[in-house]
Amino acid sequence: MDRDKPILAARDLGVSFLRADGSAVVALRDVCLEVFPGEFLCILGRSGHGKTTLLNIVAGLLRAQHGELRVMDRLVTGPGTDRGVIFQQDAVFPWMRVEENVAFGLRFRNITKRERLEIAREHLALVGLSSVARAWPRELSGGMRARVAIAAVFANDPPILLADEPFGALDYVTRRQLQAVLRDLWRRTGKTVLFVTHDVDEAMMLGTRVIVVKNGGIAEDRIIDLPMPRSDDDIATPEGLALKHLFLHHIGLE
Amino acid sequence: MRFRQMPRLSGSAPLGLRTAGVDHRANQAKFRQDLLNGLYTGAGIALFFAFWWLTASQLPRSRLVTPLEAGQDLWANFVYSPRLGVFGLGSVGYGTLLLYTVSNVVTGMIAGGAVGILIGIASARLTLLRLVVNPIVLVLGTVPVLVAAPLFLLWFGVVPFTQVLLVAFYSAVMMVLFSQRAAENMNPIYERWALTFGAGLTDRVRHILIPGTVPEIIGGLRITLASAWGLEIFAEILGAPSGIGQAIKALTNISNVPGLLACVIIVAATAILTDILLVVLARRITGWV
Ligand SMILES: Nc1ncnc2c1ncn2[C@@H]1O[C@H](COP(=O)(O)OP(=O)(O)O)[C@@H](O)[C@H]1O
Ligand SMILES: [Mg+2]
Repeated sequence: MDRDKPILAARDLGVSFLRADGSAVVALRDVCLEVFPGEFLCILGRSGHGKTTLLNIVAGLLRAQHGELRVMDRLVTGPGTDRGVIFQQDAVFPWMRVEENVAFGLRFRNITKRERLEIAREHLALVGLSSVARAWPRELSGGMRARVAIAAVFANDPPILLADEPFGALDYVTRRQLQAVLRDLWRRTGKTVLFVTHDVDEAMMLGTRVIVVKNGGIAEDRIIDLPMPRSDDDIATPEGLALKHLFLHHIGLE
Repeated sequence: MRFRQMPRLSGSAPLGLRTAGVDHRANQAKFRQDLLNGLYTGAGIALFFAFWWLTASQLPRSRLVTPLEAGQDLWANFVYSPRLGVFGLGSVGYGTLLLYTVSNVVTGMIAGGAVGILIGIASARLTLLRLVVNPIVLVLGTVPVLVAAPLFLLWFGVVPFTQVLLVAFYSAVMMVLFSQRAAENMNPIYERWALTFGAGLTDRVRHILIPGTVPEIIGGLRITLASAWGLEIFAEILGAPSGIGQAIKALTNISNVPGLLACVIIVAATAILTDILLVVLARRITGWV
């Protein structure tokens, strides 16, 4: 794939919602964005500024009222297997065992059941969940269920991965562990990732590029040219701290 | 130093030592809870029979007899009851008549329930279908099905089909309401996730909507089944070739109190037993809850 040609291109995306009281909220205003193959793009912003709206449009779950979106040169009109999604909410199916959850997306392809389970087990191993393949989701912790969601999406092997604050509800240590899991899978597979977060440190640890979404628009767009994997020390340089302050300023602190 | 360590409190043993054997205790606790629940249920039943006994001892035999006498009547007439032969029911007992009732209720529930569940789930997602179905179901649900029973008898005659249809009709209406609500209550996140994996409408119905609503639907089935017994027996009393309702009609004609009480016991026991069966089945298929 040509690295200089965008895998995803949004032009003038605009969305507004009607509130219950009849007033309108502009959730996205004329967003233009190009994402390149293999990027780990972190979409940073405060709650309520349009991050989920943007991601849902890219996922094809929401239609923009104006503008257009192309993924791999095709106009997006709905969800597709070229874009895997991990939601903010826990979406792991409670009525399927862990391995069935991971194998779910493969049902809709021409793959035998045996192969599906084989692929599912491989991916469970990649996220460190081999021992609970036959467990029910309710028997797992929140962090383990997040791993199941990651395994399920990677098992389906979409070129683009969309994640909406996937670790937002997890404790600090679990979040750090899962960041590492996702980062390693991304490095292994070379997928393009769009990762929504409200956490500046998370964005700077994971992103090869960070955009700040503010009031429905893109307020900042920065390449983070630091080697992977990164440690806390790597981003605690004077330059890194200056960038962190800039991001914090954009999201309303300082 | 700015980050000094606090001294450790004495006497606090490492955690692992104190939690050894917790698995075993968890099992024990569960067993004890089950036992206790069983005892409460038993106590409730005992209380009911005690009350019955007490009331029976205060009333004349022509009004109410003791549970023991009712039980004796049930035992004596279970397989063959000469009294019932007089009414043209043939060589039958309460048990054989009950078989007819059970088979009608089960057939009607399965046929009507399946139709109702499918329509209910589909209508939760297809606006057009919901707009058509809801007014019909609401009217049919508010006009008691009992009103339709004599009509069914006129239309279809004194055959098993008449009662099966009534139960099926009732089950379908009830299950449309229950399963539509179950599907509406389900978190939409699951269907959205399935969509992103490329699942089509039928895939989503099969893998998401149906399994995801099963626990609530089984709750609806239990309520429907409980009232289906009454409906079936009412229809049998109106007119049927067999069934425990016919026994009740005959026994009422000859004012046989022990026989009527025996019928009440046998119907109640069947209803409870089938409900337990449904719960056990539900536990097996909803191990994930
Ligand atoms: N379905 C909706 N109906 C009405 N308003 C909405 C809806 N979805 C989002 N909004 C509004 O759009 C804005 C952006 O929301 P969202 O994209 O969810 O923000 P974020 O993900 O950054 O927290 C918010 O002001 C929110 O209240
Ligand atoms: Mg959001």
